[in-house]
Amino acid sequence: MADPDFSTFPLRARGHAYEDFADGQCFDHHWGRTLGQADATLFATAALRFTPLYFNDEYARACGHPGIVVDPLLVLCTVVGLSVEDLSEAGGPFLGIGPVRFLLPVYPGDTLTARSEVVARRQSEKRPGFGIVTWRTEGRNQRGQIVVTCERTNLVARKAPR
Amino acid sequence: MAEKVAALTGNDNYFEDFVAGSRMRHARGTTVGEVENQLMTKLVMNTADAHFNEQRMAATPFGHRLVFGLITGSIVIGLATQDTAENALAEVGLDRLMFRAPVFHGDTLTAYTEVLETRDADRDDAGIVRFKHWGLKQDDTVVFEGEREVLVKRRSHWGTR
Repeated sequence: MADPDFSTFPLRARGHAYEDFADGQCFDHHWGRTLGQADATLFATAALRFTPLYFNDEYARACGHPGIVVDPLLVLCTVVGLSVEDLSEAGGPFLGIGPVRFLLPVYPGDTLTARSEVVARRQSEKRPGFGIVTWRTEGRNQRGQIVVTCERTNLVARKAPR
Repeated sequence: MAEKVAALTGNDNYFEDFVAGSRMRHARGTTVGEVENQLMTKLVMNTADAHFNEQRMAATPFGHRLVFGLITGSIVIGLATQDTAENALAEVGLDRLMFRAPVFHGDTLTAYTEVLETRDADRDDAGIVRFKHWGLKQDDTVVFEGEREVLVKRRSHWGTR
């Protein structure tokens, strides 16, 4: 037997199961994330987001911004990413994302935080071990302004036994 | 800036160029791998190790790490961006995003777009274009679809600036 016996170490589990969600329940998600110039440029280039608005400061200034605009898809991915541990990490795949609104531009140096509310939940008819949950998630900047809103629906695993 | 901004972007994708019902197959595809999935998933704070733990996923029906759906969606929209938003002033929103089949490292994505609608915006120098995008992988399976609205410059106001 290994010394120490790692099989005796209790798991620090993460995430929530279907039964953990209640209608109207709100989550203030962990961490927040300051998006820097390197984040914005890396994301926009690796995702082939070929408009200079997202990677050319001079061009973005000519369009009325103080510098490059953080790719709104990076803003959406980050706000959803911050929500994953609370909402979907233990659960299951995306079923879909509903209306997404980009309400204000985000600039390098801005800090995003994420908050979600449970808007619907039901048991899956096709998959007995799962439920289906819809959340409304919003991302705010450091001034408390909402920069993005979205709704997403996931398959979420029920607690064992399956 | 020193040179004209219009010289930095194409001249075939201003608001006036989009017509409802027109379709396009975008020029480039991209194979997704460690950079696109593992790095970008972690960059955006997605903590779910279904996207970056190959050993655990080997024991599931998927068999491999799954590419984070919003990264797939971002890349499909990215493959469509030069043709649909090179002259954008802003991206307004998305809707009806569907993740229809799993994407794995090594898969190659290509993108297709239809113009659903064009309409005036609340400013004179740009208009709104609504697109439908589809992302396919190498066996022609549709892996992603979604709608997107973009505020696109009008050539009449921006074409010579």
